[in-house]
Amino acid sequence: MVRALDRKLLRELWRIRGQVLAIAVVLAAAVATFVLSMGVYRSLVETRDAYYARNGFADLFVAMTRAPRSVTQRIAAIPGVERAEGTINQYSTLELPRKDMPVRALVSSVEEGGATLLNHVTLREGRMPRPGNAGEVVIDEAFARANLLRPGSTLYALIYGTRQRLVVVGVGLSPDHIYSIAPGDLIPDSERFGILWMGRRALEAATDRTEAINAIALKLGRGAVHADVIRQVDHILEPYGGTGAYGREDHMSHAFLDNELAQLDAMNRVIPPVFLLVSTFLVYIVLGRIIRTERTQIGLLKAFGYTNREIGWHYLKFALAVAVFATILGYAAGVSMGRSMTRLYAEYFQFPFLRYTISADVFVTAGGLSLASATLGALGGVRSAIGLAPAVAMSPPSPPSYRTGATERLGQWAGFSAVGQMIIRHIARWPGRSAITVTGIALSLGLLFSTMQFMDASRTMLDSFFFRAQRQDLTVTFIEPRNQSALLELAQIPGVLRVEGTRAIPVVMASGNRRERTAIESTEPGSLLAAHIDRSGEEIAMPAAGLMLSRQLADQLEVGAGNEVYVELLGGKRTITALPVASIVEEFVGARAYASPDTVERIAADAAPAGSALLQIDPAARRNVLIQLKDMPAVLSVTERDAALLKFQEMIDENIFTMLFFYIAFASAIAVGVVYNSARILFSEREHELATLRVLGYHRREVGMILVGEIALLVIAAIPVGCVAGYWLAQVMTAMFSSDLFRLPFAPNRATYGYASLIVSLAAIATVAIVARRVGQLDMIAVLKAREA
Amino acid sequence: MSDEKPSGEPGVEFVFRGTGLTKVYRSGETEVHALREVDLAIVPGEMVVLLGPSGSGKSTLLNIIGGLDRPTDGQLWYRDLELTRLDDRHLTEFRRDRVGFIFQFYNLIPSLTAEENVRLVTDIAKDPMDAREALDMVGLADRAQHYPAQLSGGEQQRVAVARAIAKRPGVLLCDEPTGALDSRTGMRVLETLCRANSELGTTVVIITHNRGIGKMAHRVLHFLDGRIAEVEANDQRISASEIQW
Repeated sequence: MVRALDRKLLRELWRIRGQVLAIAVVLAAAVATFVLSMGVYRSLVETRDAYYARNGFADLFVAMTRAPRSVTQRIAAIPGVERAEGTINQYSTLELPRKDMPVRALVSSVEEGGATLLNHVTLREGRMPRPGNAGEVVIDEAFARANLLRPGSTLYALIYGTRQRLVVVGVGLSPDHIYSIAPGDLIPDSERFGILWMGRRALEAATDRTEAINAIALKLGRGAVHADVIRQVDHILEPYGGTGAYGREDHMSHAFLDNELAQLDAMNRVIPPVFLLVSTFLVYIVLGRIIRTERTQIGLLKAFGYTNREIGWHYLKFALAVAVFATILGYAAGVSMGRSMTRLYAEYFQFPFLRYTISADVFVTAGGLSLASATLGALGGVRSAIGLAPAVAMSPPSPPSYRTGATERLGQWAGFSAVGQMIIRHIARWPGRSAITVTGIALSLGLLFSTMQFMDASRTMLDSFFFRAQRQDLTVTFIEPRNQSALLELAQIPGVLRVEGTRAIPVVMASGNRRERTAIESTEPGSLLAAHIDRSGEEIAMPAAGLMLSRQLADQLEVGAGNEVYVELLGGKRTITALPVASIVEEFVGARAYASPDTVERIAADAAPAGSALLQIDPAARRNVLIQLKDMPAVLSVTERDAALLKFQEMIDENIFTMLFFYIAFASAIAVGVVYNSARILFSEREHELATLRVLGYHRREVGMILVGEIALLVIAAIPVGCVAGYWLAQVMTAMFSSDLFRLPFAPNRATYGYASLIVSLAAIATVAIVARRVGQLDMIAVLKAREA
Repeated sequence: MSDEKPSGEPGVEFVFRGTGLTKVYRSGETEVHALREVDLAIVPGEMVVLLGPSGSGKSTLLNIIGGLDRPTDGQLWYRDLELTRLDDRHLTEFRRDRVGFIFQFYNLIPSLTAEENVRLVTDIAKDPMDAREALDMVGLADRAQHYPAQLSGGEQQRVAVARAIAKRPGVLLCDEPTGALDSRTGMRVLETLCRANSELGTTVVIITHNRGIGKMAHRVLHFLDGRIAEVEANDQRISASEIQW
């Protein structure tokens, strides 16, 4: 049987259902974001780990110019190595029917007999290539989908200078290409880049590498020391142009996925706590008000013999009931948002299966946090209910006494109307609650601002990367470094206006005990097509001597301008050169290094050939230039700047706008929750006064202004606080979202402060307007008879 | 005190004129007849006292003539303005410009000083007197900067009177104005009301349980069961100080 006290609780909850709902929405947002990010995080990690284990994702990777296949056995014999598999990886250009844009692929060899155990391909459709069938390939699923290819489709590929007809026999996935990105690109573009798996013998023949390989994948045993294995691998492969073994953390696909996971983790650490804090505040003020109005009842209950524990528990149950409701709401929202976010991930990350599953402990933790935050908020109220002496409680509380203080004098000095005085004195009379309202609105604004400014960050990044640093229309990558004549050949193509050669050499940079794998890039002196932009947007010149490091790389190496770093060339001659860091450039993508061609020549100890070329073309001749490039055997790939830009913008539109929609909704939920509760409490406290004003001849609108005015003042006070909080929160989030791959710029636009403030203010004013409508229902007659509550 | 008839403006016969005023409250299944076809006429400058037991309809009538409530049936005019046809907005205008209310429990705003409580009304009235002047009229000029919590009950009620008269209302409606006061302070409040009536020519309607107060008025309307049971005109009015409490 429901006890009378519980019945009272239920009715009370129902009576203030609007307020209960407003708190529950904020608390539910905390639960939802927690379940969402934690759920997606766990799902991704579990899926990834299962996939890695099932398909034998390697622990170490190494590439070399060319090595005999037998070297694999020497590598496998290194202590700690469980398995080593040699493969051929070859970039190629594809010709797809009805496509004039350049399409590239990485062709990877697989053992025809199915003996490949590392980075094993999972077939989604069709079969693996058969021994003896030269042109058979398996293609990756995203590429197949984007280009409408399926088993049976044929295409032509320019592999190692030879045009070859290929037949698609299967569609598959592999754990080393969960995130497949073309070299030099920022984001996946499945239409223009794909992975092809070809039988080993067929690829050996196509690339003139009979019984030779150019890459090895290694699986290490438990307890193997990676650094030791890497040293030995590098030693063995030195004569073969080994470019240095690296672990998963430097593996592109793994690193991108890791980066995404880190962002989810960051989101989880920043956003739910904001909501939990606001919920705690809301429970505190709402329960505080309930206990003040139920003072007499509490006295009566105590007089009847209810113990302090029973009364405390009664009010705590109020908070817990709200929390339970919010938790259920949050679970539902979190699970459904998690599903759609997982779907979004499935578009960028190629998993054979990506199920959104949430383990019980995520639910338990989310529920626990929700209950804890509500309980914390309830403590103050519960303590005051317990502390009430029955005799005191049953007599009405002493009337609020106002006296002339600073606020009053300020208002009088400013010549406020009597109504204006009522507003500011009430704020000053309840400083704690006013502060909570201001804090809540400020947090909502801060959260909104810190998410909205990611759009500014993306725009800055886009502007810096695509418009200011990259001025070429096309980037042409050669199959292997070429000399000046290749550049001249490009310059002769009709429509090509300018050609600049560039070169990148793989190196390991070291300073103290810090080592980073990177590449040093060089462009022609006086280059017009490649620029380096610093933080203030100024172009900075390539130093004549020494290195220019991106901020990211400098931070990783813990060096600054003037320090010296050791540069070890990977592949070919393994020279070690000590070079000064001449300058640092503020770049947002990757950890990169730059040097003049002379410096690069010194490190590489050869005359600098060009690995790729930057082209400026006549837009009208684009098609023709692309067709000509396609037919040049020396050309490995062509990247169009505009296509990359478009793809990047698409990604921003798709992801950031979805995120933004969620965050505007979330931030508004906080603003609405805080303002609704503050306004309802304000209304109930001032009901008597407001009715009196109506009797005195104030119109509904004028009386409503007392509510709107007080909240508006608090919103105005909250805006600067919120902007400061947002600035701070945005910096924290920017730092947390930055990884080895991306460094988000912190460059909020001033207008963003305005937009965020506007959205929060509108949400607040709309909410208080809803409460102000109650002015129309005020009972003026009751007020004439009643002693003030 | 004088026995003169209320003066009033020339050409205007009545301040309030009501016919067949009926008020029925529905609470659940039951109907409560608070007013039953009351006819009413109050002339300018008149002081009228409404007497009667609780629930007899006097407060309902006061609320209706004050524009706080509407009759279920019947018609009511304030001078040539038909109150029974006004919407909420115009009733608010009516209260704002014409009516001064005084309540048993003062209903002052605790966060405003005495002067500011008066300014609450002078801020919105068409032709108000200065808030200080109104406080001066009730003898509280020196307490202008005090908050309600710093004033005695009688002082608070006088602030309420000052607030009511500051707009120079056509009519003062007082619901048990002395109900919460002791005799001495009650008397001071009544004196103020009499001054407003005689010096400003304000029509005053007072609800009270105190028969003695009736002797101050030009007329006393006795209420019983929602009807005016008896109208008593005073040929000889007494002053507030002569009232027996």
